[in-house]
Amino acid sequence: MDVLILASESCDPATEIICAPENVIELFEFTEPLFSIGPFDFTRTVVLTFLAMFIVLALLFMGFRKTRVVPTKFGVAMESVVSFVRDDVAKGTIGPDGSKYSPYLLSIFMFILVANLFELTPGINFPLTSRMAIPLMLAVVTWLIFVIVGFAKNGLHYVLDIAWPKSVPLALRWLVGLIELVSVFVLRPITLAVRLFANLVAGHLMLTLLLGSGWIFFAAVGDIGVRSVIGLPWFAFGLLIFVFEFVVAVLQAYIFTLLSAVYIQTSVHPEH
Amino acid sequence: MIQFLAPILVLAEEAVVEESSGIDLLLPESSELIAGIIAFSIIFFFVWKWVIPAADKTLAARQEAITGQLTQAETTKQEAASLLDDYKKQLAQAKSEANTIVENAREAGDALRTDMVGKAEADAESIRVKARSDAAAERDRAATQIKDEVAALSLELAQKVVAGTVDESAQQALVDRYIDDVGNLEA
Repeated sequence: MDVLILASESCDPATEIICAPENVIELFEFTEPLFSIGPFDFTRTVVLTFLAMFIVLALLFMGFRKTRVVPTKFGVAMESVVSFVRDDVAKGTIGPDGSKYSPYLLSIFMFILVANLFELTPGINFPLTSRMAIPLMLAVVTWLIFVIVGFAKNGLHYVLDIAWPKSVPLALRWLVGLIELVSVFVLRPITLAVRLFANLVAGHLMLTLLLGSGWIFFAAVGDIGVRSVIGLPWFAFGLLIFVFEFVVAVLQAYIFTLLSAVYIQTSVHPEH
Repeated sequence: MIQFLAPILVLAEEAVVEESSGIDLLLPESSELIAGIIAFSIIFFFVWKWVIPAADKTLAARQEAITGQLTQAETTKQEAASLLDDYKKQLAQAKSEANTIVENAREAGDALRTDMVGKAEADAESIRVKARSDAAAERDRAATQIKDEVAALSLELAQKVVAGTVDESAQQALVDRYIDDVGNLEA
């Protein structure tokens, strides 16, 4: 509702065709602390971050609190998620060694999934991953893991093989090596973070503008009369985007997890 | 149509206007970063230390249960097959025994019949021999008797011829008496 209020503050349904805030950053920044513990301010985003953590912990705890030979439906769903990340993503991408990375991959998948789905959760309607802190933090952790694993498994050959790729013709080797160095050590974490962040920013922006505008036009029917019908296509389109955003939320969590596994795999088996 | 395109234009304008301050959106807030690191660390620790082992335990228990059930099913199947074999063997043995019994009975019956027939034939032969013997003895006895009678009659006739007491009627009576005696012997 805060978002709708922000969007409607400067909106005049009598003259405008869509309601957008003066500054779209207002849709993503919640700088006012709800409360503080010492020097640490708990803004809405910070509170939602911990809420996401508790939801992930609760889901996993409920799914695995008892060892059941015949699982419940919820247990089956949670086991499917775990086996999907461990068997399909971790082992399927990295190989037999992949199972040791499955705790990390499962953690990022669950955390990103819940943080993304906050976009569609009534009462919250704000994806945590549309704040750069979460995607960047996770991308940096992934970067640290694949770099450390690369050096641990291959020593200095890890960076030398990237900088001087022997499979490339000699004339182009330095250029390709330079591109690879920048790609692996600089662009990978940035693209990983920005891909997730930008998708959720765009989705949140679209949902807010479309559903917010639709709602504001409907609410102003007493003032603007028949003109409030303009809200109808905005609202209908917003509902379609709502369904689309559910797919995006799940897909982006999967893509982030899969790419993390792929990057780790390139460090575990650089010859591939 | 232009009305539907308008929001896109508005968004484009917004993007241009916000370009200068949009960099704020890309820079992470330190408080959010700290909260994210703490939250993710707790999730990772929980998953690493509890979720994955619990999932492994659940899957292992399920695998064990399924393996146990399969093993039990296999054992039951083998027991059933073994029982079936036993029953088949017992049935075959029972059939064999029945055949033996029937065969023995048949052989015993044949032996009994052969024995009885032999005995009956022996009895009959014995009876026949005895009858033949009796008949021969009787015949001999009759012959002897006739011989004695003929001798007695001949003697009596000779005595009467010598005495001259034989007339025609007495001679005829002697002859008739002799014929009667012979007739009685033959009967």
